[in-house]
Amino acid sequence: MNTIIQTYQLTKTFKAEEVIKPLDFSLRKGEICALIGKNGAGKSTFLKMLAGQLMPTSGDIYLFGKSGKEMAQTKKRIGFMIETPAFFPDFTATQNLEYFRIQRGVVEKKRIAEVLQIVGLANQKRKRFKEYSMGMKQRLGIALCLLGNPDCLVLDEPINGLDAEGIMEIRKLLLKLNQEKQITILVSNHILTELQLLAKRFMFIENGVIVDDLSKESLDDKSRKQIQLKVDDPAKTARLLEQTYADIEYKTLPDNIITIQNHIEEGGEINRLLVDNGVLVMEFRIEALNLEEYFLGLVGESEK
Amino acid sequence: MINYIKSENYRLFRKKGLHITSLICLLLIIFSAATLYYFGQHEPNFPYATSLFFYSNVIGSSILILIIAFLFNLALTGKDMSLIKQSISFGISRNTIFWSKLILTLSYFLVICVVGLLLMIGLGENLFVKEEQSVSNFLIASFNMLPIVLSGFFMIHAMKMMKAGEVYIIIMLLFFFVFSGDLLRLILRPISGLDELYQYAPSTQFNENLMSFMDQSTQFEFRYWITGIVISVICLLIGARKFAKQYID
Repeated sequence: MNTIIQTYQLTKTFKAEEVIKPLDFSLRKGEICALIGKNGAGKSTFLKMLAGQLMPTSGDIYLFGKSGKEMAQTKKRIGFMIETPAFFPDFTATQNLEYFRIQRGVVEKKRIAEVLQIVGLANQKRKRFKEYSMGMKQRLGIALCLLGNPDCLVLDEPINGLDAEGIMEIRKLLLKLNQEKQITILVSNHILTELQLLAKRFMFIENGVIVDDLSKESLDDKSRKQIQLKVDDPAKTARLLEQTYADIEYKTLPDNIITIQNHIEEGGEINRLLVDNGVLVMEFRIEALNLEEYFLGLVGESEK
Repeated sequence: MINYIKSENYRLFRKKGLHITSLICLLLIIFSAATLYYFGQHEPNFPYATSLFFYSNVIGSSILILIIAFLFNLALTGKDMSLIKQSISFGISRNTIFWSKLILTLSYFLVICVVGLLLMIGLGENLFVKEEQSVSNFLIASFNMLPIVLSGFFMIHAMKMMKAGEVYIIIMLLFFFVFSGDLLRLILRPISGLDELYQYAPSTQFNENLMSFMDQSTQFEFRYWITGIVISVICLLIGARKFAKQYID
């Protein structure tokens, strides 16, 4: 079974507003997939439907190939943390996890100590939940997700409220879980630079529609540094570039634009080469898109 | 379902508020007995130091019992409801959650009721002037109250699971269990065939039960069971159906 989560034509309507428009999605084994969208784009609604907190208006959800009532069993293989994790405020971390351990039918009591160790709360296990900082609460939420030895984690804003060090620790933890235990991860977050360091796949959602779905390679390709030129004669420019640099990688785009993907450090020489050979360079710039800029570009297009 | 009940049981037994409420209820019974006993001993013409009067405090305190039921129900359906979202994401069905919480809080409530009754009888029979058949009448009257009190418990549970506000629940309890008889009598008086319906109202039945207990004419009343069962079934059906479709946040 390579597909962990699959949805077909999934929709959610609140009153007259269609918050999720027919949505087809699949999460394959081993992936770390980032769900990216603005506030109100439909991320949490989508994740809540996967978790069962919200009933879809129409469409189907398959978890490990099972849907409907059969899904209850397969849900045990997924650790969900949707928005802020909820625990009993007067219970310690151990008591809270014990409550859920009993509920989930996890036989081994020592699993509680293990997951607290994994998330770095082993020394804080006797502290009451209400005395925890936001970051500790988030970590306990992840510990709860890990309690049942899941094959997949679905995390909605897992680094909310964490400081820089905490964010890095959670990122390392998630990468470790993915690499060492082959845990598949679906994660949403608004800190896009952080997602870029974590995810292998990026899914952009806007107004309840998936507007783009990229692999890390495609995103890296799109976000790589490049020289962008606007010239009066693109054909001559291309010829000159090929004659001078045997390994040159470039693309000719509409509006007399040429982008060059290598020899970035030799930008000055390239400019002189063109000017000396009579090419009018109207624009010359070195640019690189990060995930945030790519996302803003997408949202901008979608709004247009 | 067993695992869910076990986990809620783990939670329930660590909830201080619930144990304090139980303790206060039992202490109030002891305190009222002690007060009546004190005045019985020190006031020569004090007429209320009798087991009949002592027991009538319970039979006549239906709304107080429902408030206690409300507090017990709150133990598992109060602020901790936010944890339900986690349970649901683990694959536990809403039906399991609805019925497990009910079974557990009801069991605990019934245990406290039984302990309270035994304490009442123990104190009533040892401290006060004994009256003939007062214990058996007390037990029959309590048995008559049971279905209506339980229907109140189910109503509270269903409304709490549907996220109804606490003030709203109290208003509904007052409406059904305090004012319903008078309202039905007033509204349905001109309608022939329905003018006797008020006799099936919970508040009328609570009053009747108290009157017959004070007259020492208590007997088993099946009408109370009809009322209790009808309200219980309606509340639980609506509650379970609504909760099954509810947005859990």
